[in-house]
Amino acid sequence: MDVVHREGNTMTLSMGPQHPSTHGVLQVIVEVSGETVERADMEIGYLHTGIEKSAENLFWTQASTVIERMDYLSPLSNAMCYVLAVEKLLGVTEKIPERARQVRVLLCEAARIASHCVWLGTHAIDIGAISCFWYAFDIRENILDLTEQAGGARMHPNYLRVGGLNGDLPQGFLSKLDELIAKFPERMRELRTLLQNNPIWRDRTIDVGVLSLEDALAWGATGPVLRASGIAYDVRKAFPYSGYEGYEFDVPVRTEGDAYARFLVRLDEMDEAMRIIRQVRKRLDTPGPIAVDDPKIIAPPKETIVLSMEALIHHFKMVSEGFRVPPGDVYQAVEGPRGELGYYIVSDGGNRPYRVRTRPPSLYNLQCLKQLAVGGLIADMVVTIGSLDPVFGEVDR
Amino acid sequence: MPSSQAPSIAGAAIDPPTLRDPTLDDALIERVDRAALHDRVLALRAAGTTMLLDIGAVDYPERTPRFDAVYHFLALPKKQATVAEVGTPKRIRLLVGVPVNDPVLPSLTNLWKNADWPEREIFDLFGIVFSGHPNLKRIQMPHDWEGAPLRKDYPLRGPAREKTPRPAFALKSNVPAGAPPSGKVAQALERQTRRTGDS
Repeated sequence: MDVVHREGNTMTLSMGPQHPSTHGVLQVIVEVSGETVERADMEIGYLHTGIEKSAENLFWTQASTVIERMDYLSPLSNAMCYVLAVEKLLGVTEKIPERARQVRVLLCEAARIASHCVWLGTHAIDIGAISCFWYAFDIRENILDLTEQAGGARMHPNYLRVGGLNGDLPQGFLSKLDELIAKFPERMRELRTLLQNNPIWRDRTIDVGVLSLEDALAWGATGPVLRASGIAYDVRKAFPYSGYEGYEFDVPVRTEGDAYARFLVRLDEMDEAMRIIRQVRKRLDTPGPIAVDDPKIIAPPKETIVLSMEALIHHFKMVSEGFRVPPGDVYQAVEGPRGELGYYIVSDGGNRPYRVRTRPPSLYNLQCLKQLAVGGLIADMVVTIGSLDPVFGEVDR
Repeated sequence: MPSSQAPSIAGAAIDPPTLRDPTLDDALIERVDRAALHDRVLALRAAGTTMLLDIGAVDYPERTPRFDAVYHFLALPKKQATVAEVGTPKRIRLLVGVPVNDPVLPSLTNLWKNADWPEREIFDLFGIVFSGHPNLKRIQMPHDWEGAPLRKDYPLRGPAREKTPRPAFALKSNVPAGAPPSGKVAQALERQTRRTGDS
Protein backbone atom coordinates (compact mmCIF):
# COMPACT_ATOMS: atom_id res chain seq x y z
CA MET A 1 0.00 0.00 0.00
CA ASP A 2 1.29 3.41 -0.89
CA VAL A 3 0.86 6.51 1.18
CA VAL A 4 -0.82 9.00 -1.08
CA HIS A 5 -1.39 11.78 1.36
CA ARG A 6 -0.93 12.52 5.02
CA GLU A 7 -2.69 15.21 7.02
CA GLY A 8 -2.71 15.39 10.79
CA ASN A 9 -3.87 12.02 12.10
CA THR A 10 -5.48 11.04 8.82
CA MET A 11 -3.56 9.15 6.20
CA THR A 12 -4.84 8.45 2.70
CA LEU A 13 -3.71 5.10 1.38
CA SER A 14 -4.13 3.52 -1.99
CA MET A 15 -4.80 -0.18 -1.71
CA GLY A 16 -4.66 -2.03 -5.00
CA PRO A 17 -5.22 -2.48 -7.87
CA GLN A 18 -2.52 -5.14 -7.59
CA HIS A 19 -3.08 -5.95 -3.93
CA PRO A 20 -3.74 -9.71 -3.61
CA SER A 21 -6.55 -9.39 -1.09
CA THR A 22 -8.63 -7.20 -3.39
CA HIS A 23 -9.46 -10.37 -5.36
CA GLY A 24 -8.56 -8.94 -8.70
CA VAL A 25 -8.07 -5.37 -9.74
CA LEU A 26 -9.96 -3.26 -7.25
CA GLN A 27 -8.38 -0.05 -6.05
CA VAL A 28 -9.62 1.25 -2.73
CA ILE A 29 -8.53 4.71 -1.65
CA VAL A 30 -8.90 4.61 2.12
CA GLU A 31 -8.62 7.41 4.60
CA VAL A 32 -7.43 5.94 7.86
CA SER A 33 -7.00 7.41 11.27
CA GLY A 34 -4.69 5.00 13.02
CA GLU A 35 -6.10 1.64 11.99
CA THR A 36 -9.68 2.81 11.60
CA VAL A 37 -11.13 3.44 8.17
CA GLU A 38 -12.85 6.81 7.93
CA ARG A 39 -13.68 6.74 4.25
CA ALA A 40 -13.30 4.24 1.43
CA ASP A 41 -13.56 5.19 -2.23
CA MET A 42 -13.35 2.54 -4.86
CA GLU A 43 -11.91 2.77 -8.31
CA ILE A 44 -13.00 0.06 -10.75
CA GLY A 45 -12.58 -0.37 -14.48
CA TYR A 46 -9.04 -1.75 -14.54
CA LEU A 47 -10.33 -4.90 -16.22
CA HIS A 48 -12.73 -3.21 -18.61
CA THR A 49 -12.56 -5.19 -21.83
CA GLY A 50 -15.62 -3.92 -23.67
CA ILE A 51 -17.40 -7.28 -23.69
CA GLU A 52 -20.81 -5.68 -24.25
CA LYS A 53 -19.47 -3.81 -27.27
CA SER A 54 -17.76 -6.93 -28.63
CA ALA A 55 -20.95 -8.95 -28.25
CA GLU A 56 -22.83 -6.47 -30.47
CA ASN A 57 -20.43 -7.31 -33.27
CA LEU A 58 -20.59 -11.10 -33.09
CA PHE A 59 -23.21 -13.61 -34.21
CA TRP A 60 -25.69 -14.69 -31.55
CA THR A 61 -23.79 -17.94 -31.01
CA GLN A 62 -20.36 -16.33 -31.07
CA ALA A 63 -21.41 -13.69 -28.53
CA SER A 64 -21.84 -16.31 -25.81
CA THR A 65 -18.10 -16.99 -26.13
CA VAL A 66 -17.18 -13.52 -24.89
CA ILE A 67 -20.09 -13.36 -22.47
CA GLU A 68 -18.78 -16.48 -20.71
CA ARG A 69 -15.68 -14.51 -19.86
CA MET A 70 -17.50 -11.97 -17.69
CA ASP A 71 -17.76 -14.01 -14.52
CA TYR A 72 -14.72 -16.17 -15.11
CA LEU A 73 -15.25 -18.20 -11.94
CA SER A 74 -18.59 -19.57 -13.09
CA PRO A 75 -18.67 -19.08 -16.87
CA LEU A 76 -21.57 -21.46 -17.27
CA SER A 77 -23.97 -19.24 -15.30
CA ASN A 78 -23.33 -16.42 -17.74
CA ALA A 79 -23.79 -18.71 -20.70
CA MET A 80 -26.97 -20.12 -19.15
CA CYS A 81 -28.51 -16.68 -18.66
CA TYR A 82 -27.59 -15.52 -22.14
CA VAL A 83 -28.90 -18.59 -23.97
CA LEU A 84 -32.11 -18.54 -21.96
CA ALA A 85 -32.66 -14.90 -22.93
CA VAL A 86 -32.02 -15.55 -26.61
CA GLU A 87 -34.25 -18.62 -26.51
CA LYS A 88 -37.03 -16.46 -25.09
CA LEU A 89 -36.65 -14.03 -27.98
CA LEU A 90 -36.67 -16.94 -30.44
CA GLY A 91 -39.73 -18.43 -28.73
CA VAL A 92 -38.15 -21.86 -28.33
CA THR A 93 -38.00 -21.97 -24.52
CA GLU A 94 -40.67 -24.68 -24.36
CA LYS A 95 -38.99 -26.76 -27.04
CA ILE A 96 -35.65 -27.26 -25.31
CA PRO A 97 -35.34 -31.01 -24.68
CA GLU A 98 -35.45 -32.25 -21.11
CA ARG A 99 -31.93 -33.69 -21.21
CA ALA A 100 -30.42 -30.39 -22.32
CA ARG A 101 -32.11 -28.61 -19.41
CA GLN A 102 -30.86 -31.24 -16.97
CA VAL A 103 -27.28 -31.03 -18.17
CA ARG A 104 -27.45 -27.23 -17.99
CA VAL A 105 -28.65 -27.37 -14.40
CA LEU A 106 -25.98 -29.94 -13.57
CA LEU A 107 -23.15 -27.85 -14.96
CA CYS A 108 -24.44 -24.60 -13.46
CA GLU A 109 -24.68 -26.11 -10.01
CA ALA A 110 -21.22 -27.62 -10.42
CA ALA A 111 -19.98 -24.18 -11.44
CA ARG A 112 -21.59 -22.71 -8.32
CA ILE A 113 -19.64 -25.15 -6.16
CA ALA A 114 -16.41 -24.45 -8.04
CA SER A 115 -16.92 -20.70 -7.72
CA HIS A 116 -17.63 -20.93 -4.00
CA CYS A 117 -14.49 -23.06 -3.66
CA VAL A 118 -12.37 -20.26 -5.12
CA TRP A 119 -14.12 -17.77 -2.88
CA LEU A 120 -13.56 -19.89 0.21
CA GLY A 121 -9.93 -20.64 -0.58
CA THR A 122 -8.95 -17.05 -1.28
CA HIS A 123 -11.08 -15.61 1.52
CA ALA A 124 -9.38 -17.98 3.97
CA ILE A 125 -5.94 -17.01 2.69
CA ASP A 126 -6.79 -13.34 3.25
CA ILE A 127 -7.50 -14.15 6.86
CA GLY A 128 -4.41 -16.32 7.22
CA ALA A 129 -5.75 -19.86 6.94
CA ILE A 130 -3.62 -21.21 4.11
CA SER A 131 -4.33 -24.94 4.12
CA CYS A 132 -8.05 -24.47 3.45
CA PHE A 133 -7.15 -23.28 -0.03
CA TRP A 134 -5.84 -26.71 -1.10
CA TYR A 135 -8.89 -28.57 0.15
CA ALA A 136 -11.19 -26.17 -1.68
CA PHE A 137 -9.19 -26.26 -4.89
CA ASP A 138 -9.21 -30.03 -4.87
CA ILE A 139 -12.99 -30.02 -5.30
CA ARG A 140 -12.76 -27.32 -7.91
CA GLU A 141 -10.20 -29.31 -9.86
CA ASN A 142 -12.60 -32.24 -10.09
CA ILE A 143 -15.33 -29.94 -11.36
CA LEU A 144 -13.06 -28.36 -13.94
CA ASP A 145 -12.19 -31.86 -15.14
CA LEU A 146 -15.89 -32.53 -15.61
CA THR A 147 -16.32 -29.28 -17.53
CA GLU A 148 -13.38 -30.20 -19.70
CA GLN A 149 -14.84 -33.60 -20.46
CA ALA A 150 -18.20 -32.14 -21.37
CA GLY A 151 -17.15 -29.09 -23.36
CA GLY A 152 -13.48 -29.51 -24.18
CA ALA A 153 -12.15 -26.68 -22.05
CA ARG A 154 -11.63 -26.30 -18.34
CA MET A 155 -12.85 -22.77 -17.80
CA HIS A 156 -14.68 -21.50 -20.86
CA PRO A 157 -16.12 -24.47 -22.71
CA ASN A 158 -18.84 -22.58 -24.65
CA TYR A 159 -20.80 -25.77 -24.21
CA LEU A 160 -24.28 -24.29 -23.75
CA ARG A 161 -25.69 -23.19 -27.08
CA VAL A 162 -28.80 -21.30 -28.04
CA GLY A 163 -31.24 -24.18 -28.56
CA GLY A 164 -29.50 -26.80 -26.47
CA LEU A 165 -26.00 -28.11 -25.98
CA ASN A 166 -22.97 -28.53 -28.16
CA GLY A 167 -22.93 -32.32 -28.15
CA ASP A 168 -23.99 -34.93 -25.65
CA LEU A 169 -22.05 -35.84 -22.52
CA PRO A 170 -19.08 -38.05 -23.43
CA GLN A 171 -18.51 -41.59 -22.25
CA GLY A 172 -16.99 -41.73 -18.81
CA PHE A 173 -18.53 -38.43 -17.73
CA LEU A 174 -21.13 -39.99 -15.47
CA SER A 175 -18.64 -42.25 -13.69
CA LYS A 176 -16.43 -39.21 -13.00
CA LEU A 177 -19.49 -37.38 -11.72
CA ASP A 178 -20.29 -40.31 -9.44
CA GLU A 179 -16.77 -40.13 -8.03
CA LEU A 180 -17.25 -36.44 -7.26
CA ILE A 181 -20.63 -37.06 -5.66
CA ALA A 182 -19.14 -39.79 -3.49
CA LYS A 183 -16.16 -37.71 -2.43
CA PHE A 184 -17.93 -34.39 -1.85
CA PRO A 185 -19.52 -34.89 1.63
CA GLU A 186 -16.19 -35.90 3.15
CA ARG A 187 -14.44 -32.88 1.62
CA MET A 188 -17.14 -30.53 2.85
CA ARG A 189 -16.86 -32.01 6.31
CA GLU A 190 -13.13 -31.29 6.24
CA LEU A 191 -13.68 -27.72 5.12
CA ARG A 192 -16.23 -27.12 7.83
CA THR A 193 -13.95 -28.69 10.45
CA LEU A 194 -11.14 -26.38 9.37
CA LEU A 195 -13.12 -23.19 9.70
CA GLN A 196 -16.62 -23.25 11.06
CA ASN A 197 -15.79 -23.56 14.74
CA ASN A 198 -12.24 -22.30 14.47
CA PRO A 199 -11.93 -19.58 17.16
CA ILE A 200 -9.61 -17.42 15.05
CA TRP A 201 -11.95 -17.62 12.07
CA ARG A 202 -14.94 -16.74 14.24
CA ASP A 203 -13.08 -13.83 15.83
CA ARG A 204 -12.15 -12.44 12.49
CA THR A 205 -15.54 -12.78 10.79
CA ILE A 206 -18.31 -12.49 13.40
CA ASP A 207 -19.71 -8.93 13.58
CA VAL A 208 -17.43 -7.82 10.78
CA GLY A 209 -18.91 -6.03 7.77
CA VAL A 210 -22.46 -6.10 9.07
CA LEU A 211 -24.99 -5.29 6.36
CA SER A 212 -28.47 -4.63 7.70
CA LEU A 213 -31.52 -5.76 5.78
CA GLU A 214 -32.53 -2.19 4.85
CA ASP A 215 -29.05 -1.45 3.57
CA ALA A 216 -28.90 -4.69 1.61
CA LEU A 217 -32.08 -3.66 -0.21
CA ALA A 218 -30.90 -0.09 -0.69
CA TRP A 219 -27.59 -1.22 -2.18
CA GLY A 220 -29.29 -3.76 -4.46
CA ALA A 221 -27.39 -6.68 -2.95
CA THR A 222 -28.55 -10.10 -4.13
CA GLY A 223 -27.46 -13.68 -3.73
CA PRO A 224 -25.65 -14.88 -0.59
CA VAL A 225 -25.08 -11.28 0.54
CA LEU A 226 -28.83 -10.56 0.64
CA ARG A 227 -29.67 -13.97 2.04
CA ALA A 228 -27.19 -13.55 4.89
CA SER A 229 -29.14 -10.39 5.80
CA GLY A 230 -32.47 -12.15 6.09
CA ILE A 231 -34.37 -12.25 2.79
CA ALA A 232 -34.58 -15.66 1.11
CA TYR A 233 -34.72 -14.27 -2.42
CA ASP A 234 -33.36 -16.80 -4.88
CA VAL A 235 -34.09 -16.44 -8.61
CA ARG A 236 -34.28 -20.24 -8.91
CA LYS A 237 -37.30 -20.20 -6.59
CA ALA A 238 -38.82 -16.81 -7.45
CA PHE A 239 -38.57 -17.05 -11.25
CA PRO A 240 -37.76 -20.73 -11.96
CA TYR A 241 -35.97 -21.49 -15.21
CA SER A 242 -34.55 -24.54 -16.95
CA GLY A 243 -36.60 -26.92 -14.82
CA TYR A 244 -35.48 -25.77 -11.35
CA GLU A 245 -39.07 -26.07 -10.15
CA GLY A 246 -38.65 -29.84 -10.50
CA TYR A 247 -35.80 -30.16 -7.99
CA GLU A 248 -35.97 -30.22 -4.24
CA PHE A 249 -33.62 -27.82 -2.54
CA ASP A 250 -33.66 -25.30 0.28
CA VAL A 251 -32.51 -21.71 0.22
CA PRO A 252 -30.09 -21.15 3.11
CA VAL A 253 -30.80 -17.89 4.91
CA ARG A 254 -29.29 -16.17 7.96
CA THR A 255 -30.18 -12.97 9.74
CA GLU A 256 -26.90 -11.67 11.19
CA GLY A 257 -25.65 -10.04 7.97
CA ASP A 258 -21.98 -10.27 8.92
CA ALA A 259 -19.06 -11.96 7.18
CA TYR A 260 -19.58 -15.14 9.17
CA ALA A 261 -23.22 -15.35 8.11
CA ARG A 262 -22.24 -14.95 4.47
CA PHE A 263 -19.66 -17.69 4.98
CA LEU A 264 -22.27 -20.06 6.42
CA VAL A 265 -24.81 -19.25 3.70
CA ARG A 266 -22.29 -20.07 1.00
CA LEU A 267 -21.20 -23.33 2.64
CA ASP A 268 -24.84 -24.40 2.96
CA GLU A 269 -25.38 -23.40 -0.65
CA MET A 270 -22.60 -25.74 -1.73
CA ASP A 271 -24.39 -28.59 0.03
CA GLU A 272 -27.68 -27.62 -1.60
CA ALA A 273 -26.02 -27.44 -5.01
CA MET A 274 -24.72 -30.96 -4.50
CA ARG A 275 -28.23 -32.04 -3.52
CA ILE A 276 -29.50 -30.75 -6.88
CA ILE A 277 -26.62 -32.46 -8.69
CA ARG A 278 -27.53 -35.79 -7.09
CA GLN A 279 -31.11 -35.38 -8.28
CA VAL A 280 -30.00 -34.52 -11.82
CA ARG A 281 -27.62 -37.48 -11.84
CA LYS A 282 -30.53 -39.89 -11.34
CA ARG A 283 -32.32 -38.49 -14.37
CA LEU A 284 -29.31 -38.51 -16.67
CA ASP A 285 -29.36 -42.27 -17.26
CA THR A 286 -32.18 -41.84 -19.76
CA PRO A 287 -30.73 -40.80 -23.11
CA GLY A 288 -32.52 -38.23 -25.22
CA PRO A 289 -32.05 -35.37 -27.65
CA ILE A 290 -29.76 -32.56 -26.47
CA ALA A 291 -30.87 -29.74 -28.75
CA VAL A 292 -33.98 -28.45 -30.48
CA ASP A 293 -34.71 -30.16 -33.76
CA ASP A 294 -34.34 -27.00 -35.81
CA PRO A 295 -31.37 -26.73 -38.20
CA LYS A 296 -32.03 -22.97 -38.45
CA ILE A 297 -30.86 -22.54 -34.85
CA ILE A 298 -28.52 -25.47 -34.17
CA ALA A 299 -26.29 -26.66 -36.99
CA PRO A 300 -26.67 -30.35 -37.83
CA PRO A 301 -23.88 -32.64 -36.57
CA LYS A 302 -20.65 -32.17 -38.46
CA GLU A 303 -20.49 -35.77 -39.69
CA THR A 304 -23.80 -35.41 -41.54
CA ILE A 305 -22.42 -32.83 -43.95
CA VAL A 306 -20.72 -35.49 -46.06
CA LEU A 307 -23.98 -37.41 -46.37
CA SER A 308 -26.58 -34.77 -47.00
CA MET A 309 -26.58 -31.69 -49.20
CA GLU A 310 -29.17 -30.06 -46.97
CA ALA A 311 -27.04 -30.53 -43.86
CA LEU A 312 -24.09 -29.02 -45.71
CA ILE A 313 -26.13 -25.95 -46.64
CA HIS A 314 -27.44 -25.52 -43.10
CA HIS A 315 -23.93 -25.82 -41.79
CA PHE A 316 -22.63 -23.28 -44.26
CA LYS A 317 -25.41 -20.83 -43.45
CA MET A 318 -24.84 -21.24 -39.72
CA VAL A 319 -21.12 -20.60 -39.99
CA SER A 320 -21.27 -17.77 -42.50
CA GLU A 321 -24.23 -15.75 -41.23
CA GLY A 322 -25.60 -17.36 -38.10
CA PHE A 323 -29.32 -17.16 -37.46
CA ARG A 324 -31.75 -14.28 -37.08
CA VAL A 325 -33.69 -13.51 -33.94
CA PRO A 326 -37.10 -11.77 -34.05
CA PRO A 327 -36.99 -8.13 -32.94
CA GLY A 328 -37.84 -7.31 -29.34
CA ASP A 329 -36.29 -6.92 -25.95
CA VAL A 330 -36.17 -9.26 -23.00
CA TYR A 331 -34.78 -9.40 -19.47
CA GLN A 332 -33.69 -12.78 -18.20
CA ALA A 333 -32.20 -13.46 -14.79
CA VAL A 334 -30.56 -16.49 -13.27
CA GLU A 335 -29.18 -17.15 -9.82
CA GLY A 336 -25.44 -16.99 -10.31
CA PRO A 337 -23.07 -17.83 -7.46
CA ARG A 338 -22.95 -14.11 -6.63
CA GLY A 339 -26.63 -13.26 -6.94
CA GLU A 340 -29.10 -12.19 -9.57
CA LEU A 341 -27.26 -12.22 -12.86
CA GLY A 342 -29.40 -10.65 -15.55
CA TYR A 343 -29.20 -9.88 -19.23
CA TYR A 344 -31.33 -7.26 -20.91
CA ILE A 345 -31.05 -8.18 -24.57
CA VAL A 346 -32.40 -6.21 -27.53
CA SER A 347 -32.69 -7.75 -30.98
CA ASP A 348 -33.35 -5.75 -34.13
CA GLY A 349 -34.23 -8.88 -36.06
CA GLY A 350 -30.68 -9.44 -37.23
CA ASN A 351 -28.03 -12.08 -36.84
CA ARG A 352 -26.17 -10.21 -34.09
CA PRO A 353 -27.35 -8.97 -30.70
CA TYR A 354 -28.33 -5.32 -30.94
CA ARG A 355 -27.55 -4.67 -27.29
CA VAL A 356 -26.54 -6.92 -24.43
CA ARG A 357 -26.81 -5.18 -21.08
CA THR A 358 -25.58 -7.16 -18.10
CA ARG A 359 -26.86 -6.85 -14.58
CA PRO A 360 -23.66 -7.89 -12.83
CA PRO A 361 -24.34 -9.06 -9.27
CA SER A 362 -20.76 -8.35 -8.16
CA LEU A 363 -20.99 -4.69 -9.13
CA TYR A 364 -23.95 -4.09 -6.84
CA ASN A 365 -22.65 -6.29 -4.04
CA LEU A 366 -19.28 -4.57 -4.13
CA GLN A 367 -20.79 -1.07 -3.90
CA CYS A 368 -21.80 -1.81 -0.29
CA LEU A 369 -18.15 -1.64 0.68
CA LYS A 370 -18.34 2.17 0.62
CA GLN A 371 -20.54 1.85 3.66
CA LEU A 372 -19.34 -1.40 5.25
CA ALA A 373 -15.67 -0.44 5.47
CA VAL A 374 -16.27 2.83 7.31
CA GLY A 375 -15.68 2.65 11.03
CA GLY A 376 -13.98 -0.74 10.94
CA LEU A 377 -10.34 -1.68 11.05
CA ILE A 378 -8.38 -1.74 7.84
CA ALA A 379 -7.73 -5.47 8.36
CA ASP A 380 -11.49 -6.00 8.63
CA MET A 381 -11.98 -4.29 5.30
CA VAL A 382 -10.01 -7.12 3.71
CA VAL A 383 -12.37 -9.61 5.35
CA THR A 384 -15.38 -7.65 4.12
CA ILE A 385 -14.12 -7.54 0.52
CA GLY A 386 -13.53 -11.28 0.65
CA SER A 387 -16.98 -11.97 2.04
CA LEU A 388 -18.67 -9.93 -0.72
CA ASP A 389 -16.94 -12.17 -3.29
CA PRO A 390 -16.57 -9.76 -6.22
CA VAL A 391 -15.33 -10.99 -9.60
CA PHE A 392 -13.78 -8.24 -11.61
CA GLY A 393 -14.35 -9.74 -15.01
CA GLU A 394 -17.99 -9.07 -14.26
CA VAL A 395 -17.72 -5.74 -12.41
CA ASP A 396 -15.72 -4.18 -15.24
CA ARG A 397 -16.83 -6.27 -18.22
CA MET B 1 -8.08 -2.93 -44.00
CA PRO B 2 -10.18 -4.15 -41.09
CA SER B 3 -13.81 -3.17 -41.24
CA SER B 4 -14.76 -0.62 -38.62
CA GLN B 5 -17.89 -2.41 -37.47
CA ALA B 6 -19.56 -5.51 -38.85
CA PRO B 7 -23.15 -4.50 -39.65
CA SER B 8 -26.08 -6.65 -38.68
CA ILE B 9 -27.78 -8.06 -41.76
CA ALA B 10 -31.15 -6.77 -40.57
CA GLY B 11 -30.26 -3.13 -41.09
CA ALA B 12 -31.21 -0.28 -38.82
CA ALA B 13 -33.27 -0.83 -35.75
CA ILE B 14 -35.93 1.82 -35.23
CA ASP B 15 -37.56 0.72 -32.01
CA PRO B 16 -37.37 -3.02 -31.18
CA PRO B 17 -39.15 -2.69 -27.79
CA THR B 18 -42.35 -1.72 -29.64
CA LEU B 19 -42.09 -4.90 -31.70
CA ARG B 20 -41.82 -7.22 -28.77
CA ASP B 21 -44.14 -10.09 -28.08
CA PRO B 22 -46.07 -8.93 -24.96
CA THR B 23 -45.98 -12.38 -23.38
CA LEU B 24 -42.21 -12.55 -23.64
CA ASP B 25 -41.07 -11.77 -20.11
CA ASP B 26 -42.40 -11.47 -16.62
CA ALA B 27 -41.71 -7.78 -15.97
CA LEU B 28 -44.33 -5.04 -15.93
CA ILE B 29 -43.23 -2.62 -18.62
CA GLU B 30 -43.90 1.08 -18.73
CA ARG B 31 -42.63 3.90 -20.88
CA VAL B 32 -42.10 7.03 -18.80
CA ASP B 33 -41.35 10.58 -19.82
CA ARG B 34 -38.06 11.74 -18.35
CA ALA B 35 -39.69 14.74 -16.66
CA ALA B 36 -42.05 12.36 -14.88
CA LEU B 37 -39.37 9.79 -13.97
CA HIS B 38 -38.68 11.04 -10.47
CA ASP B 39 -42.37 11.14 -9.52
CA ARG B 40 -43.01 7.73 -11.04
CA VAL B 41 -40.14 6.20 -9.09
CA LEU B 42 -41.39 7.81 -5.87
CA ALA B 43 -44.84 6.35 -6.56
CA LEU B 44 -43.29 2.93 -7.16
CA ARG B 45 -41.45 3.18 -3.87
CA ALA B 46 -44.62 4.07 -2.06
CA ALA B 47 -46.30 1.07 -3.70
CA GLY B 48 -43.72 -1.31 -2.26
CA THR B 49 -40.85 -1.44 -4.75
CA THR B 50 -37.82 -1.98 -2.57
CA MET B 51 -34.89 -2.59 -4.85
CA LEU B 52 -33.35 -0.87 -7.85
CA LEU B 53 -32.05 -3.87 -9.75
CA ASP B 54 -30.24 -2.25 -12.62
CA ILE B 55 -29.96 0.73 -14.91
CA GLY B 56 -28.91 0.20 -18.51
CA ALA B 57 -29.08 2.13 -21.74
CA VAL B 58 -29.59 1.39 -25.42
CA ASP B 59 -28.73 3.52 -28.45
CA TYR B 60 -31.13 3.67 -31.42
CA PRO B 61 -29.43 6.16 -33.79
CA GLU B 62 -32.36 6.32 -36.24
CA ARG B 63 -34.96 7.08 -33.65
CA THR B 64 -36.09 10.22 -31.83
CA PRO B 65 -35.39 10.32 -28.92
CA ARG B 66 -32.21 8.47 -29.65
CA PHE B 67 -31.44 6.72 -26.33
CA ASP B 68 -33.45 4.55 -24.02
CA ALA B 69 -32.51 4.33 -20.37
CA VAL B 70 -33.78 1.04 -18.97
CA TYR B 71 -34.56 0.80 -15.25
CA HIS B 72 -35.35 -2.50 -13.57
CA PHE B 73 -36.97 -2.60 -10.14
CA LEU B 74 -37.89 -5.43 -7.82
CA ALA B 75 -40.53 -5.51 -5.09
CA LEU B 76 -39.02 -7.57 -2.27
CA PRO B 77 -40.44 -7.62 1.25
CA LYS B 78 -38.99 -5.02 3.62
CA LYS B 79 -38.57 -7.47 6.47
CA GLN B 80 -37.02 -10.88 6.96
CA ALA B 81 -38.75 -13.30 4.64
CA THR B 82 -38.73 -16.97 3.78
CA VAL B 83 -38.89 -18.32 0.24
CA ALA B 84 -42.67 -18.61 0.48
CA GLU B 85 -43.01 -15.05 1.75
CA VAL B 86 -40.87 -13.71 -1.08
CA GLY B 87 -42.93 -15.69 -3.60
CA THR B 88 -42.61 -14.25 -7.10
CA PRO B 89 -41.80 -10.59 -6.51
CA LYS B 90 -42.98 -8.01 -9.01
CA ARG B 91 -40.33 -6.95 -11.50
CA ILE B 92 -40.86 -3.57 -13.12
CA ARG B 93 -39.11 -2.13 -16.15
CA LEU B 94 -39.21 1.57 -16.96
CA LEU B 95 -38.09 2.75 -20.38
CA VAL B 96 -37.13 6.41 -20.55
CA GLY B 97 -36.33 8.12 -23.84
CA VAL B 98 -33.37 10.53 -23.91
CA PRO B 99 -32.80 12.85 -26.88
CA VAL B 100 -29.27 13.16 -28.24
CA ASN B 101 -29.17 16.97 -28.33
CA ASP B 102 -30.04 17.24 -24.65
CA PRO B 103 -28.85 13.96 -23.07
CA VAL B 104 -29.83 14.67 -19.47
CA LEU B 105 -31.67 12.47 -16.98
CA PRO B 106 -32.49 13.09 -13.32
CA SER B 107 -30.22 11.08 -11.07
CA LEU B 108 -31.79 8.54 -8.74
CA THR B 109 -28.88 8.61 -6.29
CA ASN B 110 -30.94 10.55 -3.75
CA LEU B 111 -33.50 7.73 -3.72
CA TRP B 112 -31.33 4.67 -4.21
CA LYS B 113 -27.70 4.60 -3.13
CA ASN B 114 -26.83 1.92 -5.64
CA ALA B 115 -27.74 4.14 -8.60
CA ASP B 116 -24.27 5.66 -8.24
CA TRP B 117 -22.16 3.24 -10.28
CA PRO B 118 -24.64 2.31 -13.03
CA GLU B 119 -25.35 6.00 -13.68
CA ARG B 120 -21.65 6.71 -13.91
CA GLU B 121 -21.32 3.79 -16.29
CA ILE B 122 -24.03 5.14 -18.60
CA PHE B 123 -22.42 8.57 -18.46
CA ASP B 124 -19.11 6.95 -19.34
CA LEU B 125 -20.24 4.64 -22.13
CA PHE B 126 -23.21 6.55 -23.61
CA GLY B 127 -22.51 10.17 -22.70
CA ILE B 128 -25.83 10.65 -20.91
CA VAL B 129 -25.57 13.19 -18.08
CA PHE B 130 -27.33 12.53 -14.77
CA SER B 131 -28.24 15.82 -13.14
CA GLY B 132 -27.87 15.76 -9.39
CA HIS B 133 -25.32 12.94 -9.33
CA PRO B 134 -22.71 13.70 -6.67
CA ASN B 135 -19.67 12.27 -8.44
CA LEU B 136 -20.34 12.00 -12.16
CA LYS B 137 -17.09 10.92 -13.78
CA ARG B 138 -15.91 8.07 -15.98
CA ILE B 139 -15.89 4.69 -14.29
CA GLN B 140 -14.88 1.98 -16.79
CA MET B 141 -12.84 3.92 -19.32
CA PRO B 142 -9.72 5.91 -18.35
CA HIS B 143 -10.51 9.38 -17.04
CA ASP B 144 -9.05 11.15 -20.08
CA TRP B 145 -10.90 9.08 -22.67
CA GLU B 146 -12.82 10.80 -25.43
CA GLY B 147 -16.11 9.59 -26.87
CA ALA B 148 -18.85 7.28 -25.68
CA PRO B 149 -17.82 3.73 -26.61
CA LEU B 150 -21.20 2.01 -26.47
CA ARG B 151 -22.85 4.43 -28.87
CA LYS B 152 -23.53 2.76 -32.19
CA ASP B 153 -21.48 5.31 -34.14
CA TYR B 154 -18.37 4.56 -32.08
CA PRO B 155 -16.28 2.10 -34.09
CA LEU B 156 -15.19 -1.24 -32.69
CA ARG B 157 -11.82 -0.89 -34.40
CA GLY B 158 -10.51 0.29 -37.73
CA PRO B 159 -9.00 3.36 -39.34
CA ALA B 160 -10.50 5.79 -36.86
CA ARG B 161 -8.94 3.85 -33.99
CA GLU B 162 -5.57 3.81 -35.73
CA LYS B 163 -5.59 7.60 -36.04
CA THR B 164 -6.30 8.10 -32.35
CA PRO B 165 -3.06 9.21 -30.74
CA ARG B 166 -1.60 6.99 -28.10
CA PRO B 167 -3.36 7.99 -24.87
CA ALA B 168 -1.19 9.75 -22.34
CA PHE B 169 -1.83 7.22 -19.58
CA ALA B 170 0.31 4.54 -21.28
CA LEU B 171 3.26 5.31 -19.01
CA LYS B 172 5.03 2.00 -19.32
CA SER B 173 5.42 2.34 -23.05
CA ASN B 174 8.67 3.79 -24.37
CA VAL B 175 6.75 5.62 -27.03
CA PRO B 176 5.94 9.20 -26.03
CA ALA B 177 2.31 10.20 -25.80
CA GLY B 178 0.78 11.40 -29.01
CA ALA B 179 3.39 9.76 -31.23
CA PRO B 180 2.15 8.06 -34.39
CA PRO B 181 2.47 4.25 -34.70
CA SER B 182 6.16 3.34 -34.91
CA GLY B 183 5.78 1.18 -38.00
CA LYS B 184 7.71 -1.67 -36.41
CA VAL B 185 4.88 -4.12 -36.99
CA ALA B 186 4.59 -3.10 -40.61
CA GLN B 187 8.37 -3.50 -41.07
CA ALA B 188 8.34 -6.94 -39.49
CA LEU B 189 5.50 -8.02 -41.72
CA GLU B 190 7.31 -6.72 -44.77
CA ARG B 191 10.51 -8.56 -43.81
CA GLN B 192 8.53 -11.75 -43.38
CA THR B 193 6.86 -11.48 -46.77
CA ARG B 194 10.20 -10.71 -48.39
CA ARG B 195 11.76 -13.79 -46.82
CA THR B 196 8.92 -16.05 -47.96
CA GLY B 197 9.25 -14.51 -51.41
CA ASP B 198 12.97 -15.41 -51.52
CA SER B 199 12.62 -19.07 -50.66
